[in-house]
Formats: sequence, C-alpha cells, structure tokens
Amino acid sequence: MLHAERERSGWLSRDAIVAIAADCRIPIAEAWEAATSYPDFPLSPPLPETRVCTGLSCVLNGAQPGPGEVGTSCQFRCADAPSPGEDAAFPELHIRRSGPLLAPDPVDWAGLEHARSLAGAEALRVVADSGLRGRGGAYFPVARKWEGALAQERPVALIVNGEEGEPGVFKDRAILCRRPKRFLEGLAIAMHVLAPAVTVVFLNGEAAAARASLEACLAGNEGMLPYPPLVMSGGGGYVLGEETTLINAIEGRKPVPRLRPPYPVESGLFGIPTVVNNVETVTNLSLVFRGGPELFRETGTADAPGTKLVSLSGRIRHPGLYELPMGTPVGAVFAAAGGALEGEIVAALVGGPSGGFLPPSEFHRPLLPGPMHPTGAVAGSGGIVVLDSTSDIRAAALAMAAFNADESCGKCTPCREGSPRVHESLAARDVASLDELLEVVGVASLCGLGQMAPGPVRSALHFWPELFA
Amino acid sequence: MTLPAVLIDGAGVVASGSLLDAVLAAGIDLPHLCKDDNLPPIGACRTCLVEADGRIVASCSVPAASVKEVNTSSERAIRLRGAVLALTAAMIAPGPGGGGPLGGTARATIEAHPVAGAVFARSTGESVDTTNPFFSFHEEECILCARCVTACQALQHISAIGMSGRARETRVTPGAGATFRDSICTSCGSCVAACPTTALRPKMELSP
Repeated sequence: MLHAERERSGWLSRDAIVAIAADCRIPIAEAWEAATSYPDFPLSPPLPETRVCTGLSCVLNGAQPGPGEVGTSCQFRCADAPSPGEDAAFPELHIRRSGPLLAPDPVDWAGLEHARSLAGAEALRVVADSGLRGRGGAYFPVARKWEGALAQERPVALIVNGEEGEPGVFKDRAILCRRPKRFLEGLAIAMHVLAPAVTVVFLNGEAAAARASLEACLAGNEGMLPYPPLVMSGGGGYVLGEETTLINAIEGRKPVPRLRPPYPVESGLFGIPTVVNNVETVTNLSLVFRGGPELFRETGTADAPGTKLVSLSGRIRHPGLYELPMGTPVGAVFAAAGGALEGEIVAALVGGPSGGFLPPSEFHRPLLPGPMHPTGAVAGSGGIVVLDSTSDIRAAALAMAAFNADESCGKCTPCREGSPRVHESLAARDVASLDELLEVVGVASLCGLGQMAPGPVRSALHFWPELFA
Repeated sequence: MTLPAVLIDGAGVVASGSLLDAVLAAGIDLPHLCKDDNLPPIGACRTCLVEADGRIVASCSVPAASVKEVNTSSERAIRLRGAVLALTAAMIAPGPGGGGPLGGTARATIEAHPVAGAVFARSTGESVDTTNPFFSFHEEECILCARCVTACQALQHISAIGMSGRARETRVTPGAGATFRDSICTSCGSCVAACPTTALRPKMELSP
C-alpha cells in the first residue's frame, strides 16, 4: 500500500501513512517505522528535477549531477553508464554472452512437463542431483533449503527474491525483461515440488519494466501455474537481499533482519516455513528439468554446477550481461568484454559493496562459492565493476564505504555506528583506527550486510596502501 | 533424561535457553544492554559477544544447546566487546543520573569494561519530549537498543512508539513522528522500566 501511494502521488505524506495504518488496522507507529525505512519512499513532495545516477559504474563513467540536477542512488542501468536516472527494459543488445540460461525463451513447457511427471519427492531428488546452488550470493544448495522447509511437515511459503538492490547488478531485471518464460517455467516447477500455500515474487520498486514484462508473461500463460503468485514491488534498500529482512518487508513490517534461529525454513513468512530463492536460481530450475541433472552438471564445477550470470559494468569496452560457467576466472570475463575502455584495467570490484577490489595480479581467481580473496572479493551475485587507467581507486573505495553506511538498516550498533566511522576514517586518511573498526563491523554485526561491509575498504587498503596513507 | 551441557570457560553448565542465559547462570559477568527477561531476544546492542566453538557470536541469539565450548574471556572476545561498547559509549552524552529503574545499566557496563580507543561524541538526536505527564524522553541519551519499542510493541501490544528511519537517522519515535502526548501512549511505563540509559526518565520520585 505504501508502494501504491508512492506511485499515485509521488511521495508519502504523514496523513497518507496514518490513513494506510487505519486501513490496515495497524498502529500508526508501526506503519511509520516501516514507511521511513525505504530509500525510495520520499517523505516530502519531490521537486521537478533531472535525476542523475550516482552509482559507482556511472560515476566511473563521468556521471556528476550538474546545476538543477539531483544525484540518485544506483538505478541499475549500469551497462548503459552514465545512465539516465529512470528505468527502462533491459536491452537484448546488452546480453553479451548467452549460455543455456540466456538462450532464447523456450517455445514449449518440456521442463515443467517433466517435473509434473514426477512425484514431489522424485522431483526433489532431481534438484538434489543437479547440485544447483542459490544464485543470490550465498550459494546454499537449493535442495537442502527445500528439504529443510518440507521437513517441517507444514504448509510452506515460497518467496522469489528479485529485489536486486546491489549497484552494478542487473541480471534479474534482464531475465524478467528478456527471458520471462524461462523464469515462469522455473517458478512453476518450484511450485510443483514445494506446493506452497503462498507464493510471492518480490521485485525492486524501481524495476517497472521487469514487472511489466513478468505480468504480461503471467497473463499470457495463465494455467501454467497452480495459482498466480503475489507480485510485490519494494521501496529499495540493499539490505532486502537478506532474506529475513525481505520477509519483514513482505509482512509490512520495518525492513530489518531477524535473529536466527529460527531460520526461515523453520519459521519465516508469518511463521510459515519459508523458502527464499533468487530469480536466477528459480530460472535455473527450467534447465535442470529440461536437460536433466546430468546435462546440468556438464557445465561449471563438480561442487558448483551450472553457469553464473555476471553483470559487468564500469570502465569496460562491452558492458552488459555475460553467462559463464561457474569456475570461470575473473580475468576471462574481461577478455571476453574487450578489455579496458581507456589504457588498462587497474582494478575490479568483485561482489559489489559486499565484495572487494582485486588488482590484475589476482584476476586468475575463479567465480566460485565462498571467499574469492580473504580481503573481501566474492563471486556473490555476480556484479563486477571495472576500473581503468582513468579511474580513482580511492574514490571508488570511499563510495563503497559511504554506500554501506547509508544502507545500514540501523538495527544493530556495529553496523549503524561503525560503518559511517569507517567512511570518516578512510576519508580523513586515519588508517590506524581502521583495522579495529573493520573487524568489529565485520564480526559483530547482526546480518550479512554489516558482516560483508568491510570487504571493499579492507581489500583496497591491502592492495593499494599508498593511496590511503 | 540428561540435559545437554555446554562447556563455559572450562566448566560444564546445563545448556538451556540462550547462550547468554547459560553464561549468566554460571555466574560470569557479560555486558548485555538489549537483553530483557520480559522480552524476546532483540540482538541489537551486540555487546554480549563470546567465542563459541571458535567463532565470535552474540550470545543472546544463540541457543546454548547448539554450542559445545564457550570462551567468554578470549583476547578477541574482550577486545571486540570493548570495541562495540566504545561505539555505544559515544552515543551517551555525559549528563545527570536518574532515569528508570535500570537507567544506570549502560553507564555502569561501560565503566566496568575496558573501552578501547577514543570515544567520539555522536548522539542520536537532541530533542527532548516532555509531553507525557509521567516521564520525559531525552534523545541524546538513547543508544537505540530497541528495548522500549519492543516492550511497547511485543509486551504491551500498544505500539505507541517505533524505530523510525534507517542508518544514522534511526530514532525512537512515537506515532507518525508525533509527541508522546499525541500518540496512543497509555503511560503504562513499560518503556521507562526497560530503558538501560537515562533517555526515558520518570518525572516524579516514587514515594512509598
């Protein structure tokens, strides 16, 4: 309802929030705490203005708000950098390399038919045999997550996470805009196996084109799903990538992480055992059931089969989406993308604000689950931002420190208080105090956002100490 | 039936409840600013860090039975607790005593534990809300532990107050950015009773 009001009037007035609270029969303070926690919900009328994206990829490509223009957070058109600050359908042109997942949308429903020919337990076995891991960034085995929820022997909830709030990542938008049918087949398969009592597809509030494409595909293929999923749009916020935060957002609560245990598969959405899977993960199910688990395993590594969608942007000749086998070295991505825009590639931010910077000497490292480099780099959700000879590594590290400070949900002390101080110390060249600050933010924070936040700063300090002294 | 045991600083302790419960039951002092026996675990203050099976965890949100061995006084645990307390200490402006029944908790905890490094001044806000007849709210003493809000929402089921905003803009806020008087506050006093600082202060001395 907050989202609908923002769409209607452009902002959320106090009266509107009070009215929504009355409509929903919830206390005003609870509506207020939720409404004031999303970056995309303005609490004052927006002025007519030209928006300029100030995400890292756009800044590296010269974006800077001029007079009369207002800088916005990342608008996720990183392959178009510097991009105009509004959403548009992901262009087919920017799918630079496709593999099985990004091959043109299938014309039939062979994967779904195969899944439906199997009983739930047999279909679950196929998922387990495929070795499919979650593509949101944590790479948890999909079958184990599903088994965890089904073992509760209660009705389960299925949430597809398409919030995609990480600057430099646009793969879920691309799938939904360009391969919606393959996603829909994956979703139908997941709904067949899990038989969820509730199914929610949660999208980024700014991803209007992806939502329109998904809704058109749903409308055109009625009957392929047991029932239509609830499609929800959020109000932004990187922390919604954390699944318990997403669950709180769907419940209409303030988007902050919950303590674990209980894990979502035990008690998630409204206390129901809940499976949260990423859009890319769900889309992979189509491949698993079309070709079978053996064929799926032929790509990638034994421990991490399949492909990964890499969102490549920044100072690179051919930015866009690259589908590559799991285990591909980072450097091979750059070779495929035509190298630096000017001069040489001097660094890459691998894994975005939760990842880390790597110098060219580390580009042999493969895209695999787990830490790619101890200072921070991770394959994560596949976002890589390239810095070339014209780029300022120090400024990029400062931008990531500022992003993580701003995106803290504010719940726990180390992340809320510590991450802004990381940015301050870095900006003031006070490197001596950073070691302990980075450690306390990384170790003591409640959720993954805070725990991963030190990566970009720690890695930049490790590889380029001279820039920060 | 044998109850599971957890080894805390070398001594076997019955593993019931949270790890923090087990540590405190063993008579070991550990900071805990957002734990409230009347409330579900909040996990916001992150001061109850211990080393459990080699990993640093906030002991309030880990079931004791899920852990084998705990070290509450490893060099790393002590150092990190001090670092979190330093971040917390920076939020409390030096001021008068008073406050609710637990009002001295945060300050006493900070004084009892080594707080490393420089303490920076950073207050949540400067507003003072005196509109409630029985208590006042002083933002500059607030450490955002969320005990008052959790007491209001999860114990009393009133929800007169909430945590508004995010990142450094997070605040304890009545209603839709209202004052206590203009909110649905019933003056039950649960928030004042839960506050570990002097942010929420009773207005009158209680007489017997």
